[in-house]
Amino acid sequence: MIRLALASLFNRKASAWLTILAIAVSTLLLLGVERVRHQTQENFANTISGTDLIVGARTGSTQLLLSSVFHIGTLNNTLSWQSYEHLQSLRGVAWHIPLALGDSYGEFPVVATTTDFFQYFQYADKQQLRFNEGAAFSHADTAVLGVEVAKRRQLGVNDQFTIAHGSGGISFSDHDAHPFVVSGVLQRTGTPVDQAVYIPLSGLGIVHGEVHGEVSIAADHHDYHEPPVYTLSAVLLGLNSRPLALRMQRDINTYQDEPLSAIMPGLALTELWRTLSLFEKALFAVSILVVATGLLGMLTALLSSLRERRREMAVLRAIGAGPATIFSLLVSEALILAIIGVSLGVAALYTVLGLGSDWLLTNTGILLRATPLTGTEWSFLAAIIAAAFVLSFIPAWRAYRNALADGLTIRL
Amino acid sequence: MTGTCIELKNLEFQWPGATRPLLSIPQFTVQQGERLLLRGASGSGKSTLLSLIAGIHTPKAHQLQVLGHDMGQLSQRQRDNLRANEIGYIFQQFNLLPYLSAQANVLLAEHFSTARRQRIEQSLRASKLSSHKEQARQLLLQLGLSDSDITRPAHQLSVGQQQRVAAARALFGAPALIIADEPTSALDSEHRDSFIQVLFAACQQHNTTLLFVTHDASLAHHFERSIELTELNQVSQESL
Repeated sequence: MIRLALASLFNRKASAWLTILAIAVSTLLLLGVERVRHQTQENFANTISGTDLIVGARTGSTQLLLSSVFHIGTLNNTLSWQSYEHLQSLRGVAWHIPLALGDSYGEFPVVATTTDFFQYFQYADKQQLRFNEGAAFSHADTAVLGVEVAKRRQLGVNDQFTIAHGSGGISFSDHDAHPFVVSGVLQRTGTPVDQAVYIPLSGLGIVHGEVHGEVSIAADHHDYHEPPVYTLSAVLLGLNSRPLALRMQRDINTYQDEPLSAIMPGLALTELWRTLSLFEKALFAVSILVVATGLLGMLTALLSSLRERRREMAVLRAIGAGPATIFSLLVSEALILAIIGVSLGVAALYTVLGLGSDWLLTNTGILLRATPLTGTEWSFLAAIIAAAFVLSFIPAWRAYRNALADGLTIRL
Repeated sequence: MTGTCIELKNLEFQWPGATRPLLSIPQFTVQQGERLLLRGASGSGKSTLLSLIAGIHTPKAHQLQVLGHDMGQLSQRQRDNLRANEIGYIFQQFNLLPYLSAQANVLLAEHFSTARRQRIEQSLRASKLSSHKEQARQLLLQLGLSDSDITRPAHQLSVGQQQRVAAARALFGAPALIIADEPTSALDSEHRDSFIQVLFAACQQHNTTLLFVTHDASLAHHFERSIELTELNQVSQESL
């Protein structure tokens, strides 16, 4: 039966291949969308880890998260150095990373921080930042680059560059007088860290004219009476014990001297992802429709082949094939088409992932890995084949009826 | 081996929805091993009679016996099985699946029939042949095909060769009855005679009953017995 179906399909090579191609492309699209959706969500959740609280001036949680972690949008309000010192003094704070945003280097955001950033900041599954080359900044005029910045601007250790005030491309107030020297380049993380430039707070203070002259890196630490900058955008806090976060969040939100907001990054990420899920559902619906189109193409091809195959059916009937055999012949043809199509789709997916993932990462920032098929993906494949199976009952039923009506007479 | 192969008794057949019967045959018998020519013009109900004998359509009970089976009482599946096992059918033309080789077309005959497979197994044990494929090849050679034709796709063969392949498939696995529905009408006279000769020889060898249907009266001299369908059928042709 299968051999007969294969031989018959081979006889109709052109339409069979087109049908298989349609199924393969729709499978590729469905799996691709699912993978982008799944891995984007994963990457998204991986951008920050180990940080218990993000503190900024009073603002919405999404805005604080987007600007401090993703460097998207701007924070209009800042928190004062005094508030930062207060946060450090809170009981249970294990570490703290100040962040001052707002400047940029070309399209890349400049983040002013302390060396604590390289020590305590974690992403993905509690992974620490590592250096590809060089080390953390040690002087006010040194900087650390994310791997993408270094790659696209072709900067290495000891190269010089200048940053601009304000974010995004063209700026009217460049800080040309204060060039920075690259002290290190970070390893790839697959997070917004790759796209950012890190400078010491004191360096920012100098280019902004808040502090004059050469300041030691020790100025970032609080034994120095003059702060390197007067305002910060956000502070990342790590606590001694996680359950403290809830109480501390309340304490910070009700801090008397300055209106502050504290958010828990995990919670804020989930909330943000939920707002994006509508988009994700639309994408999914489109790919389901493409799969439906592919399967309908198969249905059309099988149905239109029935007319020219009446002779074949009559021959099969003459040698003793019952109508039930004709029915299962059509069903097996559909299954063969669907299984080959789906397999080709999967092969195409891994080809695209293998060849195109670098291009995707540099051009869209989407990190896709050629991981094995997940349970969800397997169930999608099974659903496509099951749908093909059910749809094939239509041409199979037609062929069954034709076989009964035509008998051995061949209508040409 | 003698006995009755086909027996019609007061067969009446009428298509559903038709006002008059198409066939009404009081009595008609074909003996086993007999080679019979059934002659009839097109539209005389020939094809209908053949499809009843082949078990495609159902007569009423007790009107048609084929190889001892009352065709009116068999189920669809039983009739399909009887045809697969015991009846070889040759069409006027387009007998073969064009995308399979001549040999694969012949082997199709045992695809749906366990009885044919078993008979081939038996004859393999009796002869020196090694495989079913080899047996199909021998049969094709016997019917006048060359070795190179045997492996070619059927659509590359000439019409005469295709009809020989069809005959080989009908004979493969030694069924009791061959029904040939105008098998020579697409052939020229030279090919026609040689086709009938090889068909006869093969039928004789296996003691196969041959029911040969044609509109061509000039073939009658080949046959032991020749019958006009109009003589059998009581439904007058003018009224059709």
